[in-house]
Amino acid sequence: MHEGGKDKTVGRRTFIRNGVQISIAVGLGGIATLVATKAGGDEFVWQLDPSKCTQCGRCANSCVKSPSAVKCVHVYAMCGYCDLCGGYFLPETKILDTAAEHQLCPTKAIKRTFIEDPFFQYTIEEDLCIGCGKCVKGCDAFGNGSLQLQVRQNLCDNCNECAIARNCPSDAYSRVPADKPYLLNGFGKEKPDIT
Amino acid sequence: MKQRMILIASLVLLLAVIGYMVYDLFFSESDRSTNPYDYGLAELRKSDSALIHYNEVQQFSIGLSEVYGIATDPAGRIYVTGADIVEVFSPEGELLSTFPFQDTAYCITISPDGTILLGMEDHLEFMSPQGEIINRWKPVSEKSILTSVATDGTDVFIADAGEKIVYRFNMKGELINRIGEKDSLAGIPGFVIPSPYFDLGLGRDGELWVVNSGRHLFEAFRPDGTLISTWGQPSMEVEGFCGCCNPSHFVILSDGSFVTSEKGIERVKVYLPSGEFSCLVAAPNQFDEGTRGMDLALDPNGRIILLDPWRSQVRIFVHKEDESDGNR
Repeated sequence: MHEGGKDKTVGRRTFIRNGVQISIAVGLGGIATLVATKAGGDEFVWQLDPSKCTQCGRCANSCVKSPSAVKCVHVYAMCGYCDLCGGYFLPETKILDTAAEHQLCPTKAIKRTFIEDPFFQYTIEEDLCIGCGKCVKGCDAFGNGSLQLQVRQNLCDNCNECAIARNCPSDAYSRVPADKPYLLNGFGKEKPDIT
Repeated sequence: MKQRMILIASLVLLLAVIGYMVYDLFFSESDRSTNPYDYGLAELRKSDSALIHYNEVQQFSIGLSEVYGIATDPAGRIYVTGADIVEVFSPEGELLSTFPFQDTAYCITISPDGTILLGMEDHLEFMSPQGEIINRWKPVSEKSILTSVATDGTDVFIADAGEKIVYRFNMKGELINRIGEKDSLAGIPGFVIPSPYFDLGLGRDGELWVVNSGRHLFEAFRPDGTLISTWGQPSMEVEGFCGCCNPSHFVILSDGSFVTSEKGIERVKVYLPSGEFSCLVAAPNQFDEGTRGMDLALDPNGRIILLDPWRSQVRIFVHKEDESDGNR
């Protein structure tokens, strides 16, 4: 045996010490990377692009959450506060009141409040909204498009593979940065009234 | 023997159930393609063909991707404008001239002397019949969105959807008065304009007709701002005006009837001078779903000239009785 080989043998204490040091270094490195990732906003969440959405109804049924984590969001800055609201009333309605039989929403999740003649405010009650997009379609067809579907991040489980994204026929779903989690259309989108 | 039969029957039943589940999970597309929450716009777009009293006799493409306004002159020439350009067509649809300018015009009219008035977002520009910019007024207001302009050669009336008001200027650009401000004592409800569709036009007797689109009303004013009359009703039915803000555009026929265009349920209709529904010019199925901004004009032969921004076309309609008389 070569004489220098004696120097390369590592004692048990040294081996354990080195192992502990490497483990601590790896652990600290991991924590640092995690912190850096969080600070850099590299985390992503699911969101749907209203400009691609066709209100096919699948957001209501495809989500693993029940009711769906997709909700109607109202961009008030775009709203016309109309009396005859295409997102609130059934198309054939002749009497503009809050009677259930005149409402378009299948769960009556939109609240209509008189402001002043002839303006009415429409508020989404998220607990009732199932994200079917029926009101969005009506608002888009007859109004300014102020009602829009969005994944509500406080409700979303942020699954690795979003079941709605998989079923979306218009490819409207994508991962977006968690620090900018909403994709709203229109001139009111800079200040969405959602948290 | 009996047990074997039961076993076989159970196996067959089990296989049938599994087969149905596999089909339902992987091969059945019918349920997926059906939207249980469908709005049903298709039903609303249906109309009675007996109500259509006009035929589409001509259409031609325009070379602009962004178009907003259409007008005609006494010779029947058709002017189309949008971003950066005015295109002038003969009554037969032949391109005669193109007049470039800066900015985007959202409305256009031709004065009796042939001057082209262009409504930009916040100001008016005047173009000679040869296409030179000869005057440019100062912006009306910071919030202005000018959507319609009309002139009788003496006064210029401008609809401002941003300020929700109509202005009356003289030809020097001096403001004479504002029209349509809310005034309970005068019985003026004020304009409700949820979106930038706010049209106006001059009637046979010099009265000013303005669409109060949020209320689905036509309102007539004297030039001094006195309210004369109103008509209109909100309805998805053919007799009324649908959606949040309709009609989006109109033009007045020589007999005082109104031709209106709507968005939401795309349709063009004629109303008698009294406001009573008369007939359809074009039904929803004659337009692409989602079409909006269908500006209207009238040529000296009474043909209805419609701007279809979705198809980037000018479309011309003639009454069926006139068509049989050879008026094309």
